[in-house]
This record gives sequence, C-alpha cells and structure tokens, in this order.
Amino acid sequence: MSTGYAQKTSGRGYKKPKGQVIVEWLTTTDHKKIGYLYLITSFLYFMIAGVMALVIRAQLAAPGLEIVQTKEQYNQLFTMHGTIMLLMFATPLFAAFANILMPVQIGAPDVAFPRLNAIAYWFYFFGSLVAVAGFFTPQGAASFGWFAYAPLSNTTFSPGLGGDLWVFGLALSGFGTILGGVNFITTILTMRAPGMTMFRMPIFTWNTLVTSILVIMAFPPFAAALFALGADRRFGAHIFDPENGGAMLWQHLFWFFGHPEVYILALPFFGIVSEIFPVFSRKPIFGYKTLVYATIAIAALSMTVWAHHMYVTGSVLLPFFAFTTLLIAVPTGVKIFNWIGTMWKGSVTFETPMLYALGFLTTFIFGGLTGVILASPALDFHLSDSYFVVAHFHYVVFGTVVFAMFAGIFFWYPKMTGKMLNERLGKIQFWLLFFGFHITFLIQHWLGVIGMPRRYATYLPEDGFTWMNQVSTLGSVLLAVSMIPFLWNVYITARKGEKTTLNDPWGFGRSLEWATGTPFPRHNFTSIPIVRSESPAFDLNHPEYASAEARAALEKKS
Amino acid sequence: MIAFFSSIAAVLVLSGCSAEQFSRGYLPGVPGVTNHTDRIAGLWTTAWIVLWIVGIIAWALMFWAIIVYRRRRGETGMPVQLRYNNPIEVMFTVVPLIITIGFFAFTARDTAAIEAPVANSDVEISIIAKQWSWDFNYVDSNVYYSGVQSQFAGETGSEATLPTLYLPVGKSIKVELSSRDVIHSFWVIDFLYKKDMFPGKTNYMYFTPQVEGTYKGKCAELCGEFHSMMLFNVKVVSQAEYDAQMAALAAAGNVGQLDGRYDRNQNLPGSNPEIRG
Repeated sequence: MSTGYAQKTSGRGYKKPKGQVIVEWLTTTDHKKIGYLYLITSFLYFMIAGVMALVIRAQLAAPGLEIVQTKEQYNQLFTMHGTIMLLMFATPLFAAFANILMPVQIGAPDVAFPRLNAIAYWFYFFGSLVAVAGFFTPQGAASFGWFAYAPLSNTTFSPGLGGDLWVFGLALSGFGTILGGVNFITTILTMRAPGMTMFRMPIFTWNTLVTSILVIMAFPPFAAALFALGADRRFGAHIFDPENGGAMLWQHLFWFFGHPEVYILALPFFGIVSEIFPVFSRKPIFGYKTLVYATIAIAALSMTVWAHHMYVTGSVLLPFFAFTTLLIAVPTGVKIFNWIGTMWKGSVTFETPMLYALGFLTTFIFGGLTGVILASPALDFHLSDSYFVVAHFHYVVFGTVVFAMFAGIFFWYPKMTGKMLNERLGKIQFWLLFFGFHITFLIQHWLGVIGMPRRYATYLPEDGFTWMNQVSTLGSVLLAVSMIPFLWNVYITARKGEKTTLNDPWGFGRSLEWATGTPFPRHNFTSIPIVRSESPAFDLNHPEYASAEARAALEKKS
Repeated sequence: MIAFFSSIAAVLVLSGCSAEQFSRGYLPGVPGVTNHTDRIAGLWTTAWIVLWIVGIIAWALMFWAIIVYRRRRGETGMPVQLRYNNPIEVMFTVVPLIITIGFFAFTARDTAAIEAPVANSDVEISIIAKQWSWDFNYVDSNVYYSGVQSQFAGETGSEATLPTLYLPVGKSIKVELSSRDVIHSFWVIDFLYKKDMFPGKTNYMYFTPQVEGTYKGKCAELCGEFHSMMLFNVKVVSQAEYDAQMAALAAAGNVGQLDGRYDRNQNLPGSNPEIRG
C-alpha cells in the first residue's frame, strides 16, 4: 500500500468514492467484511420476517378477521416467516458471528479458504433472494409450511411457481451453508496460533466447530431432499408420491436435517453467552471442559432425535426417540448450571450484553422445561402441532438466537466499528424486548393446551381463544417497538458515538479478540499473542491473576 | 424477569383458577372423557410438578448468584479465579440424569398403554380426511356421513353446523384414519390425543368415550388453504341415540361405505381396479 494512500485514508473527512466502497464490499474476501455482510443481510431478513409475524398476529387478533385477503396469503406469510427466520436469519447469523470472531479468537489472519467464504455468502444471498422472490409471482410465495410436507408440497396441491423458487432457492442457499461449515472446520483445525491448543480455544470457537460439524452432517441430506422435491415438481419424478411411502420419506429426510438444524441455531449462541458471562462476572467460565463435552454430547444426541417431530404419524419407534430426546436435557442442564456457576462467587455487573445474556438464560430455562414435556409421546399426542409447540420453539429459538444476537452485537460492536453502542438505549431496548417477548409467547402455551392448532388463519368465537390471542398480539407490538431504540442506537452511535481505541473496552475480556486493536486491524494481529490458557487477553491485561505458566511466558517475552 | 412471573400470575387469575382445573394442570375437558385422559392428566401434572421444582431451583440459583455476587459500588479487584468444582459438576450431571430416566419410565408406560391396540372393539369407525372436511364411515352399521367444508367468518353459531361424528358412550372404539389427498391430523381436543391421517397409509386409534357430551375436533396438520376451516364436532351419546342416528343416516340413503376411490393422488395401490394386481 502506497504511503500516499495511507495518508489519505487516515486523514479526517476523507471519503473513498462510493463506487470504490461498493466494489470493495462486493469483491471482499476478508472474513470480517464477509461476516458484516452476513450480519447486515441476516438482520434485514429478521426485520422482514418480523413484519410478517406482525401481520400474522394482527390476523389472529379476533375471530374471522381478514387482515390478509385470503387464507392462502396467510399460509404464505407463516411459511415464509418460518423459512426466513430459520434459514435466512438465524443460520446465516451463525456464519456472521463465526466469520467475524472465530479467526480472531484462534489468532489466525483469516479463514482457511477466503474465496470459498465469499462464494458461500453469495450463494446464501442469491439463494435467499430466489426463495423470497415467490412473493412477486402471480400465485405468491410457497404456502406449504416451512417443513414442506409431501404430498402438500407437490404440484397437485401447491402448483404455484413460488414453491419451485422456495425449493431451488433453499438448495442454493444450503450449499452456501455447507461451504461455510467446511471452511470453519478447516480453519479451526489447521490455523490456530502457537499455544492455542484445542482445550484453550474459547467456548465460542468450540461451539463454532461443533456447529460446523452438524452443518456438514445435516445440510447435505436436506439439499438432496430439496433436489428430489424439485425433481418431483419440475420433472415429473415420483420420489415423494404417497404410494411409495413418500409422505413419510420426506418427513424423515426433512427432520433428519430439521432437528440438528435447531442445534445449529442454538449452539453458536450458547457460545456467545459463554463468552459474555465470564467477562461480566470477572471469572473464567465455570467447568470449561464439562461445557465442551456437554456441547459435543448435545450435538451427538441431536442427530438421533429427529423423529420426535413425528410422534403422531404412528410410524416411528416412540420409546427410542423419547429416550434420546429426554437425554438431551442432561447436557443442556449441565450448560445452564455452568453458566450460573460462572457468576457464582464472581463480581457481576449488568452492562447491556450481560443483561441480554441473563435474558437468554431466564427464557431458555423455560423453553427447556416445555421441551421435556414435548419429549414425552403420551403428552405430545395432545400438544403436537398446537400453539404449545409454537410457544416452546419460540422460547428456545428466539430466547437463544435473538437474545444472544443482541448480547453479541452490543458486546463486540466496539471491535467491529470502533464505537460503543449507547448503554442507556440498550437497556431500554432490552426491557421492551424482554416484556414484549414474554407477553407474546408465554400465553401461547395455554392457547395450545386448550386446543388452538398452529397455522390456523382464523378460529371460532366459541373456541375461547380470543382474549389470549389478543394478549399475544399486544405483546408482539411491544416486541416490534423494541427494535426502534436499537435502530436509533445504531444510527446515533454512527453519527455521534465516542470512538474507543482500547483493545479491551469492557476491561475484563478474556479471549484473543480483546488482545488486538479496536476496531480489528486488517489482518487481525500485528504480532502473535502468547497463549498459555483459555484466557490469553485476560492473562495479558491482568498478569497478577494469570497462572504461573502464563505469567512466566509473558515475562519472558517482555 | 418480573414480567415472566407476573404474566404467569395474570394467566392463573384470568383463566378462572378453579381448584379442579388446577388439579388437572389446566388441561381441557373433564376427568374421564375417555379411558386414556386421566392417565395423560396424571403424567402431565406430575411432570409439571417436577419440572417447576427444577425450573425454580435453576431460576433461584441464577438470581441468587447475580444478587449476592453483584459488583458493589466502588468495588475494585477481582474475585477468586475459580475454574471448576468437580463434586458440584458431577451432581448437576447425575441428578438430572436420574430424573430423566425416571420420567422416561413413566412416559414409556403411559405411551404404551395409550397406543395399545384393542382386539374386538365394540364399534369400528373409518374416517377419511379430505381437503377440507371429513368423511365418517360407520363400519358396523354400514352407513356413512360425508362432511362439507364449514364456512364462518367470526360470527357465533356456526360451530353447531359443523360435520358431526357420533360415538356411543361406554363402548370401546377403533378408529381407522386415512386421507384422500394430503396429510391431515385427527384431533379431538378433550380426548387429549391426535393422530395423523396419511394418503396411502392407514393409522388407528383406540379409546372408550366415557362421558356424554359434544367435543370440539380440529385438523391439526397443515393441509392447504382452508386448514383452519377443517373443523368437526364429536357427540358422545347414549346407545339408543346412536342407533337413532345410524337409522337416520340409512334413511337418508347414506348406505354403504366411502372408500379410497376418490383419492386425488394417482396410482395408489388398490385405488384403480384396472391396475389392481
């Protein structure tokens, strides 16, 4: 880089020409920039699918409403709400955080395959555009639910072009996810800095590794199933015809992907809160190895539980899937107690990232309890496909992904942009979001128990669902309002936020990203930091609390 | 967090917290609707008692940790850098494991009881789901009822016009479930049970209705545009009234059985007599 250029960019008020900025973003292979692309794109999809959720809630605010003109349109809305939230928001959000942080946390300059990384993002970008483009076709977007059960998803019952776009768009986007997984695994296995042994990796990096392994086990069968469904729809194949047992075949293939997918969504975000609890408790993570083994156990078990989504089909071995599903509660409980153990005997403060992490923990505990209920076939026969299930998975997925996403954004915002988000606005947002979420979804458990099926566009006044739906709809408005302080926060921070140049603006950071510049330098580190524990940045900044080995290494270097 | 507990309290108060409802864990219906519901209610309430205890311990530990170990104003320095505590970690692995295995034992027992086929049921009924209504075949009486999709838009009174399935009280019932287009699911809410209805595959459910009355039934598997309109009623009636209903169906000319010949999926085995092997 010429000195003239360097002077220009460091000069105050200099702006690169717009075209140059755009080309830089479009052609970047920098893991951080690709991570920001993932973060921004997935957040936009979060907002889009959130608006769809508001329309859904409005439609259910009273029996017989016609907020959307037809029930077909309502079906399109919840289908695309689910599809977008899971596959265009939460999954790529994993890729966002993994891209931005994982290479820095292991002391690497970039991921192993930077160009593969870029193409993975663009597969996701265009695949998602294709899938949502269904809304611009005459018959609208896919309307067969995000799990596209055969034979409803074939052209006899769902003839629209939107269904085809859904199938092939998701297949394309799925390849992006697989390539991302391959990249993360390779990076973690081969590019760790000297001293960064596997058992010194931050928990977030561990969870990225385990999640990526789940990705390459779960997404290829899904991509194959999508191509088979595409062949049925476009080329007259008969793979999922009911006479071949195709209806059950699709369910098995889909949930063999679909259940691990739930953990692909959860584990990285468990990783995020596992980074945050120690920093704001000023203590290392409690039971590091137990936590790692619990993550591995959850991932392994998650491959064996898929048919618990299919208890009511009458075609699965109920005791086996009930047992494996219940077993997942054990490592999950271990994690919960490890997080509590991290705060135990600590020195806990409540900055916004910590508030969100605690909000996650509070919410997730309840989602775990209802999960145990649903794991029991005898109870699931009543609750399956009811609003109880809707409430349960919003507690686990929203509780994990959204709470931990905001925790992570507030936590790492200074590393990404060089500015701290406003704490006061962050706390206002947290409380709005927390109340909004619980008012929306807690009551849906009761709705399900008294008999409201999911995916119903309307209901009878005699059903007695009305007042509970109204509470839920009110809550959803509050939830939507909670986005306003966040967007304002991002805007006002960009305009007027104080710059910070501290390596570790929170003061008690532990993993390697807190031992390098703020914002991240172009290749992450100017020198390779010393790693002698799972908290290298903490050892560096607070050597009096470091282990003897780490202290000796630090002294030797200085 | 306060929201969480206050909304629980609000729900308890607003939903008319009667002692009987509470003792059934707010499940719909009255005790003994079918021969399985008390078993399900028992498992449900026991499971929730254990889970609330576990949950309250977890929440309490969390709040205790953040309150007792909060950083006081003006506090400096660092807590002991505690990394693990083996006895505690072993405890919170083993205790949940024991609870889980115990819950599994009861679950497996009750699930097997509910799912067990009954040989020689008193009454056999074959139900075929279709977009977006139900055909009820009364096999023993050789009559049928063909439902049409309900129409309603928020007004009261339409519930009484829904397709109605009649069942005699106190008789063991075998229900054969199938579909002639997409997957549906047969859910009678107060029976606390549902089962999917597949094209090209037959499912069964076995129960004995024990309390006369009218019960709400709904399709529980997304089946297309009018999924939410695919409702029905179940009337559990005395044997005499049941016989009268059967006679009325026969008098209306609904004699015989509706079968798979109207299946919209092509080439189902046995659906076309010309290609039947």
